[in-house]
Amino acid sequence: MSVVAVEFNPEILWQNWGLVWDHRGELLRGLLTAMEVAAVALVISVAVGLVLALGRMSKPPVSWLASIYVNVFRGMPALVSVIWVYFGWSLVLGINFSVFQAGVIALVLLYSAFISEIYRAALQAIPKGQREAGLALGMHPARVFVRVVLPQATKIAIPNIGSMFIGMIKDTSTFTVIGLLEVVRVTQNINSTTFQPFVLYTAAAMLYVLAAFAVDFLFRAIEKSLSTPPAGRIAGAVTGRRRRRIDLVVKQVEAVSGRS
Amino acid sequence: MRTTAPDIPVHDVSEPAPVDIAHVEPPTRVVVELRGIKKAFGTVEVLHGVDLTVHGGEHVVIFGPSGSGKSTLLRTINMLEEPSQGSVRVLGVEYGPGVPGEPKVPRGDALELRRNVGMVFQQFNLFPHLTALHNIALALRSARGLPRDQAEEKAAIALRQVGLLRWAGHFPAELSGGQQQRVAIARALSLDPSVMLFDEPTSALDPELVGDVLGVMRALAEAGMTMVIVTHELNFAREVGDLNVFMDHGLIVESGKRGFFDTCSNPRTRQFIEAVL
Repeated sequence: MSVVAVEFNPEILWQNWGLVWDHRGELLRGLLTAMEVAAVALVISVAVGLVLALGRMSKPPVSWLASIYVNVFRGMPALVSVIWVYFGWSLVLGINFSVFQAGVIALVLLYSAFISEIYRAALQAIPKGQREAGLALGMHPARVFVRVVLPQATKIAIPNIGSMFIGMIKDTSTFTVIGLLEVVRVTQNINSTTFQPFVLYTAAAMLYVLAAFAVDFLFRAIEKSLSTPPAGRIAGAVTGRRRRRIDLVVKQVEAVSGRS
Repeated sequence: MRTTAPDIPVHDVSEPAPVDIAHVEPPTRVVVELRGIKKAFGTVEVLHGVDLTVHGGEHVVIFGPSGSGKSTLLRTINMLEEPSQGSVRVLGVEYGPGVPGEPKVPRGDALELRRNVGMVFQQFNLFPHLTALHNIALALRSARGLPRDQAEEKAAIALRQVGLLRWAGHFPAELSGGQQQRVAIARALSLDPSVMLFDEPTSALDPELVGDVLGVMRALAEAGMTMVIVTHELNFAREVGDLNVFMDHGLIVESGKRGFFDTCSNPRTRQFIEAVL
């Protein structure tokens, strides 16, 4: 074993941070691009994931196809996925996606597989009696799913979907290989002329952490608004209207018949 | 204290009263008719061929030990359990797979069936993400196709009937078990069903809250609703039951009209009643 001389460079800690401020516009634009790709991919992934979850819960051979998909794409790294879509598909299919599109597709391929598992667990957590109650009321099975089972399952799935969103934002960092101008690509570009990797990558790391905090904040708010009774400011606006409607109906019926 | 004889016309029992044809009660209409119901879960048969007829306005009480198949039998009436064999006839329409040997008849749509049959569950099964009012309004909009305003108004009226109009804007988690069950009853009633099924409606309730729910059910019975009730509340059963059915091991052991609890003769029935009452 060779002994490596440790050379501590404390001066770096208080030098060159101005560099980050000088390039703040590019870095923030990079973060915005990353979040845009991740957000578009999240919406599509939730939809595709839900379909996959239903596929896995249905009868063979549909369930087999869905579980093959899930197991293949859960295991694929984002870096491989995006190269495959951007370079591979264009060779075979002759489709040339933009870097943005390729990034979205790569994320959807992977994360729809994860989200399908999240939704499957959430759907299975809804007591059988809920579906039965809906059916016993003469509701169409599809309507029971949409109005009774799905909202309750979504409430359970939301925290995990939030975690997936954070993962998606982080995985956009690999899209630097196809030239997407996200945080890492921007950082690399600045670094290639300034040679300050410590400062620049610290800034990049902080941007990701910042994004994660923002996502956490957002999903907590959504979670709160889905609790019963709903809490938080987002819910306040929506439920306020509903409350007034209910109060109105109650008053009307009371007026006809006297208090209950 | 009554000091004089009651003013009741006295019949001469030796001579049968002349039958006035115009006053003969028409046979009450059959609402539910189950014949030869068998149900197997996998290889285990839990109902071994059960017959049950429910007439309009009748209150049928089904009781018996756990695992006797009484809930399963109830659930075949609205096709929450599809019988393996047998005829389920509701308001004259066939929904079951039929009795072997009988000619096949076209089967009705389960969706239509359930819109005519209300059901109340042991675990209430209110939708936890909706307010009491919207639990009922959703049913009315889905099954009756009512527009939102009408559905909400009708839902409020249904809540008033069970004394919970004040709780319209509350979520199930904010209501007591008894209140939840009353909302569930209101929800089923709002669809104006021809028959109401109760699957152990008080078994999951605190003893203190049972009375409220039984009160609503008693009022419903007095109003002439056709009811099929699976219950362990034998005192209530004795009070409202027009037809009392004792089940054990997937079969009807014994059944009888009012007074059944005092007159039943099967030793297994007696044993069960004495253990419970």
